[in-house]
Amino acid sequence: MDCRESTSHLLDYQRGRLGPEREEELRAHLSGCPSCSRSESIERTLTDLLERRLPQHPAPIALKLRLAAQWPSPAVTKSSWWERWGRSWAPAGAVALLLFMAVPLYYQAVSSRRAGGAERMIAEAVNDHLRILQSGHPLEVESGNFHQVKPWFAGKLDFAPAVRFLGDPEFPLKGGSVGYFLDRKAAVFTYGYRLHVISLLVFRAESLPWPAGDTGGSGKARAYEKTARGFNVILWREGELGYALVSDVDPTELRRLAAKLGTA
Amino acid sequence: MVLAGVSESRGALGREALAYADGLYNLARYLTGNDADAEDLVQETYALALRAAGQFSTGTNLKAWLFRILRNAFISGYRRQRRNPTVGGLDTTDPHGQEAAPGGWPRDDMELDQMRNVVAEDIGKALMSLPEEARTVVLMDLEGFTEAEVAQVLDCAVGTVKSRLARARATLRQLLKDYAR
Ligand SMILES: [Zn+2]
Repeated sequence: MDCRESTSHLLDYQRGRLGPEREEELRAHLSGCPSCSRSESIERTLTDLLERRLPQHPAPIALKLRLAAQWPSPAVTKSSWWERWGRSWAPAGAVALLLFMAVPLYYQAVSSRRAGGAERMIAEAVNDHLRILQSGHPLEVESGNFHQVKPWFAGKLDFAPAVRFLGDPEFPLKGGSVGYFLDRKAAVFTYGYRLHVISLLVFRAESLPWPAGDTGGSGKARAYEKTARGFNVILWREGELGYALVSDVDPTELRRLAAKLGTA
Repeated sequence: MVLAGVSESRGALGREALAYADGLYNLARYLTGNDADAEDLVQETYALALRAAGQFSTGTNLKAWLFRILRNAFISGYRRQRRNPTVGGLDTTDPHGQEAAPGGWPRDDMELDQMRNVVAEDIGKALMSLPEEARTVVLMDLEGFTEAEVAQVLDCAVGTVKSRLARARATLRQLLKDYAR
């Protein structure tokens, strides 16, 4: 092998694509040729710089969510509500597909099927919050006046979203929009806290995989709290309705808002 | 009505296709030079892929297929509406390449050491200054594509990919050497 040939094979050699015979020939040439062996170490340095130091731009989560929503839903598991979800609302199935792809260990970490369902509810709440944050028009009705926001939902939902807290100077109501929670529609109320955005999702509570121990009884609702992907989520149900509060605000602050909304 | 089999295979295709979102976005970001255009380009790529999913036969290289769709989308029409007209040049002549090809080799070990100290930002800058095709070839090589796969994506001969990659790398060497100085 001469210098010309050797130089043209350096990259393939680095990538291990030369094949054993050629590789042996090249190695023999390199050991006897200081000039080519120098070129080899320079090529290696360049590859190393590109592989380790070239700034990488991974796709933003919001984009992945939008991409996932474009593809038809696959049949993921056989559990009943999951199946219903997949059939009835393709984009939600696609979101599950994305989660399946992005966080493979997520489900494995969850031991019981019941708890797994709760994890999915948490994940969905975070996804909804992300969608709201990333949306160009997060609020379909923009008003701090609860008595304007609540009637706006009439006719857009198949339930009346009962919310006790109308907003105050600390947690001002910003407005509302209609969203989805898994397979069903949700009323989305947006509150502010300092510079943070807090989403409150209200949806029908029936046939969702609520965390174990939750009886769904009357009176003050027992809340389930969890942090997922940097967001704090508080989940509870009261009577017919389920509630999910999501934000990046401190858990203590979020709990205070949850208390105003009626959790125990 | 969609037949169950079709929707299932599309679902599986979708799951695999989404796994390449990061690599596609990275290329899109280096082609367009900004996040907004990169997002549009990747979204368009998946929309086109979804529309053409019927034409995709299992067993062919899905990753290469998606990269090909992305690059073609960038070239055909996408370029007209991009927000940053100063990057993403489609010139097939390499402004640095011709004179850099023979040189670019650091003269001594000190220069090689200097090259090792180039910061990430400068490496990104050096890559961005290459013509579109050279950027694509370098990034696809880093993504682990073989020269034959890159040739499929660029619609050219394997030998052409080989020489373009060598020339692009020679230019990068020269630029990084200059930054390190
Ligand atoms: Zn030699």
